[in-house]
Amino acid sequence: MNPSPRNPFTPDSVSVYGPGTVEATLRLIATVPAPEGLEDRIQASLAAATRTARVLPWPVALRSDHGWIRAAAAAAIVFVVLGGGWGVYSRVQPGMQSGARVVPIRVASPASGFSSAGAMRTPQTLNGPIAPAPAVTTQAGSGAVKAQRKPVQKPAVPGKIVATDKAAAQTAIPAAK
Amino acid sequence: MSTSQAILAGWMEIPRSSVQDQARQRADEEEALAALVSQYAATLYRVAFSVLRNPADAEDAVQETFLRVLRHRDTLGEVRDNRVWLIRIVWNIVLDRKRRSKTRPETDDVAELARVLPAKGLSAEEITAAAQHHARVLACVDQLPAKERQVLMLSAFEELSSVEIAEVLSVTESSVRSRLFRARNRMAELLNHTRSLR
Repeated sequence: MNPSPRNPFTPDSVSVYGPGTVEATLRLIATVPAPEGLEDRIQASLAAATRTARVLPWPVALRSDHGWIRAAAAAAIVFVVLGGGWGVYSRVQPGMQSGARVVPIRVASPASGFSSAGAMRTPQTLNGPIAPAPAVTTQAGSGAVKAQRKPVQKPAVPGKIVATDKAAAQTAIPAAK
Repeated sequence: MSTSQAILAGWMEIPRSSVQDQARQRADEEEALAALVSQYAATLYRVAFSVLRNPADAEDAVQETFLRVLRHRDTLGEVRDNRVWLIRIVWNIVLDRKRRSKTRPETDDVAELARVLPAKGLSAEEITAAAQHHARVLACVDQLPAKERQVLMLSAFEELSSVEIAEVLSVTESSVRSRLFRARNRMAELLNHTRSLR
């Protein structure tokens, strides 16, 4: 083993692979000179890091022992905070109505997923004139319904047409004069 | 001054002596740090370069070391040996960087070594031949197991004793010696193997 107390890698130490190979290479790398201006660059980076981490100093004019300046500053801060809070509180009334606006119903978008492009839905309950239902149509319709409901009579005599309806019979057989 | 004013002033009052003490302490720490930089920057650079083998990366590692010291400057007074402490910090940083850059291809080629290593009084051909030789040796060093390689590389620094190497690596001195012995034997085998292949 190496008897040197300082460094076990002394040149005269027993080296099985011979001196001048590994030792020389590693020692050469271990003695590489530092680049020019290394210290200055490190000092500059440290100064920059210190500058960014420094707390803003108290102004020189306010460093005096006059406690009233600090008291006045504290009073001003308290006044501003309380004044701002009171201003907000006095403007906002708890009973104020909410300003909610009625938004018209939008036309439902089709199944394709496109938007309605701002189109407004037309209400179906417009206050306009309502057309009266035609009475004739309803009467004729009811008669037709009745005619449909009435069972068809079979002719008593074969070959003779029998009217199934009274009106139809009147039109089919002229009145005997 | 009323009672409330007195309470307010007393609450806000920062003792002047404590502010001055803090400023003085900060100035002392900055001075100590500047002294450490001027004293050990070159040593730390060489340690970093021995692992990273790249000047820019080594300088970055040294800068990061001192930035870490700046962050923990409160503990500067508790450090027993600044040199070993700094070497330990930079050693951990460069090992971490080396581990992270392991996926990248090897950048320490022969031309880079020839450019960086000192070669006074040698011709261009001799410089190239020496660089090739150093590259081969370093390739063999890289094949060693990590523990043995670390001891071998740190032992190349004359200013580090085996006790200090043990402190840097957080192992016992006997471990340093045994690892160094194994590293030398393995290096002999690797170099003989390389020589036989040629």
